[in-house]
Amino acid sequence: MAFDVQLQMTEGVAKITLTGSLDAASAPQFKEIIERAAAQKAEKLVLFVKKLDFLASAGLQLLIYAKQKMGGNVDIYLIGSQGPVQDTLEMSGFHHSVHIQDSFADT
Amino acid sequence: MQGYLMEQLSLPAKLDSLEEIGKFVVRATTQAKLATKVAYGLRLAVDEIATNIVTHGYKEAGIIGEITVSAALTDSSLTVVLEDGGIPFDPLSHPLPGEDELNLPLEDRPVGGLGIFLVLKGVDAFQYERAHDLNRNIFVVNRTPDCTARRDAAGLAGQ
Repeated sequence: MAFDVQLQMTEGVAKITLTGSLDAASAPQFKEIIERAAAQKAEKLVLFVKKLDFLASAGLQLLIYAKQKMGGNVDIYLIGSQGPVQDTLEMSGFHHSVHIQDSFADT
Repeated sequence: MQGYLMEQLSLPAKLDSLEEIGKFVVRATTQAKLATKVAYGLRLAVDEIATNIVTHGYKEAGIIGEITVSAALTDSSLTVVLEDGGIPFDPLSHPLPGEDELNLPLEDRPVGGLGIFLVLKGVDAFQYERAHDLNRNIFVVNRTPDCTARRDAAGLAGQ
C-alpha cells in the first residue's frame, strides 16, 4: 500500500498517522514530519500505526532519530500496532523504550 | 537455484524500485501459500537487502545499474534471489546488534545495524555470494505443512 503520513500538532502533542509501507523509499517523508514536530517543540510524539502494514529498519531508525533529536524526555507512543509490525518492534527491543498502546487519551 | 523458476524481474537500482520488489515477493509468497508471518519475514528481509544494494552497492559508489529479483519454488521451500552489479557488499560481514544493544534506550542506541538483524530473523536461511562481478543474496524460507494448517486454523486462508 502506498505510504502516507499526516501530522497534527495540539498543545505540544505531535500526532502522526502513518499508513501503508514505511521503508527506505518512504522514510524521507516521515523524517520531514519528525523534523516539523521537533521544530514545533513537541513534548510527546504519538504515532498512530494501525494502518501501517509494513515497517522496515529505515522506519525503526527514524524512531531512534526522533528520540535523539527531540531529547530523551520526549515520550514516544505507538498506537494500534499489530501483527508483524508489532513483532518487529518487539524483536528489535523497541517495546522497552516506546509506549505501545491500543489507544491514546489526551491528558 | 533449485526448483521451478516462478518469475524474474530486473529493475533500476533505485529506492523507488523497493515497492515493485515488495509486490514481487508478495506474489511469490502467495503462490507458495506461505503463512502470513513467514511471508512478511521474507518480504522484510528482501526489502532490507535491496535497500543496502541500492544505497551502499550503487548510490554511494556512484554506480548506476540494475537489481534482479527471482523466485524459485520447491515442495519444501521458496527461494528468492537478488542479484546486482554494484560494488562487492557482503551483508554478513557487518556486526549484528547484540542483546545488550537491543535493550538500550533509543536515545543511547547507534543508528543502523538493525537491517541485517531483521534479515536473519525473517528467513530460514540467508547466503551471500560474489561471482562473475555480481553480488548474489539468497533468501530461503521453508514451506512447512503446519504453516498451512496454522493459517487455516487462524482463519487467514486466502489472505
